[in-house]
Amino acid sequence: MLIGVRKEQELADHLSQQQAPPQSYWSIVRQQFRKNRMAVWSLRVLYLLGFIALFADFIANEKPIYAKLDGESHFPVFRSYAVGLGLDSWEARFFQNSWHEHDYDYVIWAPIPYSAQTMDRKNRNYVAPGDEQDVPSTRFRHWLGTDQLGRDVAAGMIAGTRTAMLVGIVAMSIAALIGIFLGALAGYFGDERFSSSRVRLLFNGIGLILAYFYGFQARAFALNEGTFGWEVLKSLLIIAGIMVLVNVLASWLKRRGIWAQPVTIPLDLGVMRLIEVVNSIPGLLLILSIVAIIEEQSIFYIMVIIGLIGWTGIARFIRAELLRVRNLEYIEAAQALGYSEWRIIARHAIPNALTPVLITIAFGVASAILMEAFLSFLGIGVAAEEVTWGSLLNLARNKFSAWWLAIFPGLAIFVTVTVFNLLGEGLTDALDPRRK
Amino acid sequence: MLQYLLKRLLIFLPTLLVISLLAFGLSKMAPGDPVEQRNRDMGGGLQRELRDADRVYRETSEYLGLDKPVFYLSLSSAAYPDTLYRIFKRDERENLVKLIQLHGNWEAISRYYHAIRKADRGTEQLLGKTEAVRAVRPLIKQLYLAYKDERISSLLDKAASQTAGDSTLQATIGPSVAQLQETYSQLKAQASPGRLYIPDIKWYGFDNQYHNWITDFLTLDFGESFIDSRPVADKMGDALRWTLTMNLLAIFIAYLLSVPIGVFSAVWKDSTFDRVTTLLLFVLYSLPNFWIATMLVVFFTTPEYGMDWFPSLGLGDLPPEAPFWQRFMEAGTHLVLPVFCLAYGALAFISRQVRGGMLNVIRQDYIRTAWAKGLNAQPVIWKHAFSNALFPIITMFASIFPAVFAGSVVIEVIFNIPGMGKLTVDAIFQRDWPVVYTVLMLAAGLTMTGILVADILYAMVDPRVSYGKDKN
Repeated sequence: MLIGVRKEQELADHLSQQQAPPQSYWSIVRQQFRKNRMAVWSLRVLYLLGFIALFADFIANEKPIYAKLDGESHFPVFRSYAVGLGLDSWEARFFQNSWHEHDYDYVIWAPIPYSAQTMDRKNRNYVAPGDEQDVPSTRFRHWLGTDQLGRDVAAGMIAGTRTAMLVGIVAMSIAALIGIFLGALAGYFGDERFSSSRVRLLFNGIGLILAYFYGFQARAFALNEGTFGWEVLKSLLIIAGIMVLVNVLASWLKRRGIWAQPVTIPLDLGVMRLIEVVNSIPGLLLILSIVAIIEEQSIFYIMVIIGLIGWTGIARFIRAELLRVRNLEYIEAAQALGYSEWRIIARHAIPNALTPVLITIAFGVASAILMEAFLSFLGIGVAAEEVTWGSLLNLARNKFSAWWLAIFPGLAIFVTVTVFNLLGEGLTDALDPRRK
Repeated sequence: MLQYLLKRLLIFLPTLLVISLLAFGLSKMAPGDPVEQRNRDMGGGLQRELRDADRVYRETSEYLGLDKPVFYLSLSSAAYPDTLYRIFKRDERENLVKLIQLHGNWEAISRYYHAIRKADRGTEQLLGKTEAVRAVRPLIKQLYLAYKDERISSLLDKAASQTAGDSTLQATIGPSVAQLQETYSQLKAQASPGRLYIPDIKWYGFDNQYHNWITDFLTLDFGESFIDSRPVADKMGDALRWTLTMNLLAIFIAYLLSVPIGVFSAVWKDSTFDRVTTLLLFVLYSLPNFWIATMLVVFFTTPEYGMDWFPSLGLGDLPPEAPFWQRFMEAGTHLVLPVFCLAYGALAFISRQVRGGMLNVIRQDYIRTAWAKGLNAQPVIWKHAFSNALFPIITMFASIFPAVFAGSVVIEVIFNIPGMGKLTVDAIFQRDWPVVYTVLMLAAGLTMTGILVADILYAMVDPRVSYGKDKN
């Protein structure tokens, strides 16, 4: 290991002596990106959206940020985090009366003094933004109107921002992980470079069947009846244990020379077929069918499913890039130095192939947000009390005269999707080598 | 070329196989019992005789082919019997599976199950003869769906005390209730959960649900809808008519407008026209179609805002015997908004592609040569440049092709148009699996065909592309 590090160091030193580039690759890219004014602006809007998503609780909340009640100071918004974690609990008076009804000595409200779920009984049945509203002062006006239950649309939009950002991030992280892994396997090893001993292949096959059996089949009752997350974790541990055991056994047998003949596995072919299968299924229909069979509705399932089918573009990019990179001299040098294949892939090949993936991710986030918005628009896969842009937009279909429900959430979806599309375009231009 | 084509077509098979397994697996994991649902929907003799219920269930289940084993083989533990699929009621079967998972000895569980059935039949015969049976019967029925120890014990205790309290009951079903208690205590005593951890692969032969479905599918027999018993092919035919009308119209309009827009904005790159159209098209491209569709519905189909210009959702309800022209106008006015929604997205997408393709060609030397020769603009643009920029346009059409068939879920749902998209969504939520299978498989097949057609067209347009021997 130590020798390996030193070798790498030497190699790096040697390379840097040979060519000291006046400008790094990234500074060129940044420079190119800055020239694109639309892209720069969309990046700023993205920062704003990220800020709203991160501090949503402080922007729209029925609880005061700071309140002085009967001489005591309270920080209800901060405290709600502790309550959420089970570290603290509210005194009786805080859940007996609503937050707006207390007689505070001094109070600082969030800019929008409503939560997404707060039902303002006095302003029910679609109060328009311009209508006369039954509120104590302009401070409590519903600037974007309310829905049938008296929920503030502006607060719903803020909560929706958080959901949308979360969908983009979670779905694309899953997609990127799968895509980079499979794409790298296919691209680096191709059809001919990956070989394994017969015994390992056989044992892994048996191991997979056993792992499925002991992980899921034999534990079906526990998985159905127990705490789901915890039981899944146990199952995964069992599966990992079986696979490790099987591989250790296979290595041992291989050293003994039993069935040690190498077999070449066409990884590229396999991954490409998989991509073809995933691509040829209509994504929306697949998501709908999967959501239809999940009884418990939650936005997280949607994120995971979008991630699970959205990796093909990333895998293709990485594969194409690695097919090129794997024949470059520096990879050959690393191979000649005797590094393990996995180390070369992770530390030398993938880092050089990641840039084009950024483009796919930017576009992917846009389509993930769009997909989630459409699903919650149809009322599919989101719990009834969750407020998202899509679910707000859906309300407009029940009440045609509520124009504010049709315009504002849709505008938010549009702006977010456009921002990510513009970023994707900007990156495409900035990374285009012809543009230098 | 022929060899390449055959090779590509052969690759279709494993892909379709995977998709068929996926669709089939999803349908088997879905909650709900299609047989119950169908019996409910068909209604028929609303208040069926109770004793008929089992027979009707069995008949429906046989009719739908759901009384067969699910797949060729199964991987389960040695504790499971290989005849479990013969318990034809889904919720009873699932409850038995839970009992197996808890106790692991099928012989005792099977005895217990038969004791329940015996007690159930016993109470059924007593119906109408004595009032007291009304208290016991629901308890026995609940036993079918109970697996937790406390629950079963309490049900058994209650049933026993109810039976003991009435002399007629005691005489008739007393023994079977006693047998129930006995078999259940045996079941608990003989529990062997260890057998759950012995893997066992069971082979069910070819007469199974998957095999029957996939062989029918391959002979183009798509089966019947679970919901209304209409052949799936008929249902799809009806839906396809509207989807094709709408999509072909939209794509025709989109191509008609986008080719000139794309070409001109590429030829006069960086002109005002180019800047404006590029920006506009980008905005159009990013506009979520379900938002626009909702806005159109909200503002233009209702009198709320004084712009009630278009008829409301659906396709109108003129009877089929109305004059053709009238029906045509009716459908036409209903289709204006949906077609617009479909067209604007396609327009934005296609124009951007055409512009990109033209830009790549216009940079080439031979175009500069053509200009330098002093040729007129028309032949340079259309003959030299455009014919070479046809590339993306052709590949795009092949990729649009499956969408024409599968329909747009978004637009059809919002405008309530009975096309393919709406058919599929409805089928998914009604768990009408034959329709879902067929649409998924055909859509996948068409997508692959689309890609293949694009590749072949590619080779025909550009002689440099060849799929000959050098291909891996």
